[in-house]
Amino acid sequence: MKILATYNIKGGVGKTAAAVNLAHQASLEGHRVLVWDLDPQGAATFYFRVKPKVKGGGEALVRGRRELDRAVKGTDFDNLDLVPADFSYRNLDLLLDEAKKPLGRLGKLLAPMKSDYDIVVLDCPPSISLASEAVFRAANALIVPIIPTTLSARTFDQLDGFVNEHPEVVKKLKIMGFFSMVDARKSLHREMVEELRAQRPGLLETPIPSATDVERMGVHRAPVAAYAPTSRAAKAYAALWSEITDRL
Amino acid sequence: MSQIQRFAVVGEGDPETLLAAVAERTGLVPTGEVAARRIFLDTADGRVRKAGGCLEMRSPVRGRQAPTLVWSSVETGETLGTVDLARDADPPRWVEDLPDSPVRDRLAPLLEMRVLLPQAEVMSRLTMLAERDDEGKTTARLVLDDSTLLGSATLPPVVEVLPVRGYEKDATRLAGFLAAQVILEPVDGPLVDLAREALDAPAYLSSKLKLVLDPDVTAEEAWREVLSVLASTMAANLEGTRDDTDSEFLHDYRVAVRRTRSVLQEGRGVLPDEARARWRQEFKWLGDITTPTRDADVHLLDLPALVATLPAERAADLEPLHDLLVAHQQRCHDELVEALDSERAAALVASWDRFLTEPWTDAGTDASRPAPEVAAERLAKAWKRVVRDGRRIGDDSPAELLHDLRKDAKRLRYLLECFGSLLDREVAPLAVKALKGLQDCLGEFQDTEVQADALGHFGDALVARGDTPAATLLAMGGVVEHLGERGRRARQQFAGRFAAFDHPDTRRVFRRLIDVSEGTDG
Repeated sequence: MKILATYNIKGGVGKTAAAVNLAHQASLEGHRVLVWDLDPQGAATFYFRVKPKVKGGGEALVRGRRELDRAVKGTDFDNLDLVPADFSYRNLDLLLDEAKKPLGRLGKLLAPMKSDYDIVVLDCPPSISLASEAVFRAANALIVPIIPTTLSARTFDQLDGFVNEHPEVVKKLKIMGFFSMVDARKSLHREMVEELRAQRPGLLETPIPSATDVERMGVHRAPVAAYAPTSRAAKAYAALWSEITDRL
Repeated sequence: MSQIQRFAVVGEGDPETLLAAVAERTGLVPTGEVAARRIFLDTADGRVRKAGGCLEMRSPVRGRQAPTLVWSSVETGETLGTVDLARDADPPRWVEDLPDSPVRDRLAPLLEMRVLLPQAEVMSRLTMLAERDDEGKTTARLVLDDSTLLGSATLPPVVEVLPVRGYEKDATRLAGFLAAQVILEPVDGPLVDLAREALDAPAYLSSKLKLVLDPDVTAEEAWREVLSVLASTMAANLEGTRDDTDSEFLHDYRVAVRRTRSVLQEGRGVLPDEARARWRQEFKWLGDITTPTRDADVHLLDLPALVATLPAERAADLEPLHDLLVAHQQRCHDELVEALDSERAAALVASWDRFLTEPWTDAGTDASRPAPEVAAERLAKAWKRVVRDGRRIGDDSPAELLHDLRKDAKRLRYLLECFGSLLDREVAPLAVKALKGLQDCLGEFQDTEVQADALGHFGDALVARGDTPAATLLAMGGVVEHLGERGRRARQQFAGRFAAFDHPDTRRVFRRLIDVSEGTDG
């Protein structure tokens, strides 16, 4: 079981779209996939038409009163399940802080599901906190969307810096950055992509375009490939997934 | 997750009208209709079904869409995996025939070396409906499966209620509603079970001996029954052996032959002496003619694991060996078929069947004794022999002693499997388990030695051909070294494994089984 987390300190960069579409792509290829929506805003949960509610909330999960397995909901897609968001996740930091060995908590909750799923995708809220550190500890890879702007690149550097300074937290974590919401018509985007690629040769090759098809996820409440399978965006997510699996 | 619920439409019930009524009453919405040709697939021993799955190749009747292999859970109805096949693909036989995919990776350890065989073929019209909540989320699914079985038998239309994980209450409520309909009656298994039943298909083969003998019978009756069951196993695996469908047919055929030989050997005083001597000779011949092909099968089956011991870039160096093994296996199999088709083999089968059904007028003195008593005596003797011979083996003992012990252990195992049910049915499996650890170690020791030896011969054959690259011979040398290492490890483990078998706890198990009241310590 590989655990991936879509993560960025910054909000609005396409994390949830990446989580939902990459998870869906993995399931289309025959992997058994679980998405855990850790963001109290519950956007991934919304996209899968699931009600954002976990019995007992985050507290029951973190304190071990309820197994994660019992919170799982089947989505409308084969081999793709979801642990929905819960508004109580806004206090995840506090809940973890009160738990024993907080950094290992998420991994411990996921461990019993090892034989049920090949891929787990954690959709994380934007911040660096105890919850993010627990994610870093549990995950095999961070999938980091970067909008080709100066500010977005800066947050990627912040993350990179944190990872380098805290080897005890991240252990074998792989950081896979990719360009998100790229508008090829904007010269700024084109220049930034070129410049950032030169500075960071490890970034993934496939850019995700800024496309109406992605924005329409909120209308269709489904992954792009479910309602626009031949769209540029769907193909981009498929190519990005292929790159990620090559590096896992 | 809760179970899938299935109902058959009975009598003159019209499934379409039923569905319309159900949809109106429950708010189900139609989500699609598929007309498809479906070929259900499984191994001869039903590995997919026994693991709670169903595998089918589904080809749409209309359009040019390619067929799909669908693997689903029989218990929950969940799709465990789908694989798109080539447009004009035949049903896959080997797991390697499937496109590279996570589903293939998951199926591989389940199917192992067995081929997939068509179990039934149906033409289906699948009508799907869904129950949705106020978010538009599917919370339960209903499928009307109206299938026609190719062949003369008929199948009833089947309605399935499929739960969605996390929304099980909705499926339960829907199933409750269907259960109240007079034209529906619950069915247990999936459509493939109904189809196999309608086709009067034979039960899935089993390599495990599921013998439950009546302890009130005489030794003659017990011996006769065991030998008859083993004869049926041989018959069930003969065609697959002859056709070389997959290597397990021959393997299971040989196990039945070996068990027969052991039961004959332990049948002194039960079977007529003269007949017993003749059958022992005949079954030895039958076993011997199958040995070269089985050895060749094992070389081929083990090759991937041996290749994996080499560095990845060296793996291709063993290709000439693979080609040689394939040709060798083919030759051995051709010779086997010739022997199986010989007059001697035909006469053996026919007269063996007669022998098992006709009365034994000159049976031995033990024949009329209670079966458990005779079985316990034979088992006690076999067990004591293993203990005695095993205790004689030290760290410096020659390999032959371990090979002999392996044969003794095998005989004991066959006795336990064939006659254990006459004794203590709860304890017999414990004795088998205790023996298994020792057998695994002895098997590994001998197999690695035999394999290394065979590779030496194959190496000679490749050298004699004159065109074999040196890299191939070097790679084979590496493999032989690895086998040697494995064999040494097994040899080192022997003392510990035997000590576990010779442990007071295991001795208690055997004593309880054979009821050695005099308390002999083995």
